[in-house]
Amino acid sequence: MILRGVRRVALFFLALALVAAVWEFYIVVGPEKGGEVFGMRVLPRASGRAMPHTWEMGQRLFDPEVRGQDRPIWLAVLGYSWYTFRMALAGFAIGCVFGMALAVVMTRFRVVERGLLPYVIASQTVPLIALAPQVAALGGNWDLPKWTWVAALGAFLAFFPVSIATLKGLSAAPAASLELMDSYAASWSTTLWKLRFPAAVPYIVPGMKLAATAAVIGVIVSEISTGVRGVGFAALTYAQKATSDPAQVYTAVFGAALLGLSMFGLVVAIEVFAMRNRPAEAN
Amino acid sequence: MSVRGSTQSVASDAVVVDRVSMIFNEGKSNEVEALCDVELVICPGDFVSLIGPSGCGKSTLLRLIASLISPTSGSVLVNGKSASQARVEQDYGMAFQQSGLFEWRTVEKNIELPLELKGWSKSRRRQRATEMLELVQLSDFGSHMPWELSGGMQQRVAIARSLAAHPPLLLMDEPFGALDEMTREHMQAELLRICAASETTVVFVTHSIPEAVYLSNRVVVMSARPGRITEIIDVDLGADRDEDTREEATFYGKITEVREALRGAETTDEPRGIEDR
Repeated sequence: MILRGVRRVALFFLALALVAAVWEFYIVVGPEKGGEVFGMRVLPRASGRAMPHTWEMGQRLFDPEVRGQDRPIWLAVLGYSWYTFRMALAGFAIGCVFGMALAVVMTRFRVVERGLLPYVIASQTVPLIALAPQVAALGGNWDLPKWTWVAALGAFLAFFPVSIATLKGLSAAPAASLELMDSYAASWSTTLWKLRFPAAVPYIVPGMKLAATAAVIGVIVSEISTGVRGVGFAALTYAQKATSDPAQVYTAVFGAALLGLSMFGLVVAIEVFAMRNRPAEAN
Repeated sequence: MSVRGSTQSVASDAVVVDRVSMIFNEGKSNEVEALCDVELVICPGDFVSLIGPSGCGKSTLLRLIASLISPTSGSVLVNGKSASQARVEQDYGMAFQQSGLFEWRTVEKNIELPLELKGWSKSRRRQRATEMLELVQLSDFGSHMPWELSGGMQQRVAIARSLAAHPPLLLMDEPFGALDEMTREHMQAELLRICAASETTVVFVTHSIPEAVYLSNRVVVMSARPGRITEIIDVDLGADRDEDTREEATFYGKITEVREALRGAETTDEPRGIEDR
């Protein structure tokens, strides 16, 4: 168990080193002005401005955000990421609850499923960039704190995979088990709670994994288009200074990556807990 | 061998099936007449097997008694009540070919399921589960997960679950069908012991002739298309049946009798020529 954990951590750092090596390799061999095929740029520029060295990014973490400040930028980025993390977490939680509830309603009333499912699917094709300012305006009307509607937009992306996975999972209970509940004259809600829902857990967990990353993306994109100061907003402001300080934007990228990994780790923890008593092949 | 008519039935009968017909998809092109004019009376304490070729409606008959489906015509009484009322009052326990245990519940919690649905208190449930585990001789496995148990053990847990609420009637649909021959014979002996201890009436669907003969005091032979009861064979192997019983001449005699009845049921046009030994 411990040995496997150590190996995993070692593999993680090996993969990280490999990515860094590829990055540096491209800086050496890549064309300075980028590669073009028939006038279309297909290879990125390898100039110091476009692709700073990995060690420059590392060093940049310990310099302040703006010259003259004492606080190193990694601390600032960590603060932004923590703010985004909380919004993403709220969005994920709301999305999961809403997604499961929607699936339950759709399972209970087939008419609702037929009527609602197309809209559920269509909802995911609405560009978030276009939707975010509208929701922001709505939130402004209702006098809600800014973070709530950014979280709501995270939930907007998160509910979908959970909803689809739960919908599938709720109909996965074996016919014999359903008949058994029937023989006890169990009500629909009792059957849902004692049988359908527990039987759906192995389906819901992968949906939650997708939802966790979707919530992060939703929150970061919404920050950019609404100006809530999380790590997404930081990435945007840093990117505007890319010509003079090309390494800075990558510190925000690191923050966002850390945030995504934390969210995913959280869902894995949920999985370990929810699946602790299940047969091995279901894991 | 006569089938007792409905007129003779009394309130104390465990199950009364009165001129029941079951037609699936009635009026459609895929209409199937699963049961035709079936009459059957089962007395308390009976162990009745339903046997017949596949498609003869034996499982359908069991599901009608369980009120999982409703007959097209005719009526079913369980413990003197309508079958649906008996289902609501959990007057019967049920076991299927698949044990149907909930894999997220421990063995103990699986047995407690019907008691939970009846609203029993936790301590009372735990106490009964412990008793049931003792009855099926799995006392050491209460906190195990079902998937850690062998197929035979899982089936024993399923039987414990079906008997947990002490129902007067046990309905079983090929419960040992997925087990190997050795486990199967062992389970049959176990079932007889458990039913004798709990004084339960059993309706048992099977397509194994030795199983039906060994377990039952009445074997109901059915024929297919449409499903109907062709013969009811009384078996009396004594209450003290054991492994030696399976090698006795009376046991083989009854097996032959049931087999002949089944053969006769299949080809009703031909002369039967049965000679009971």
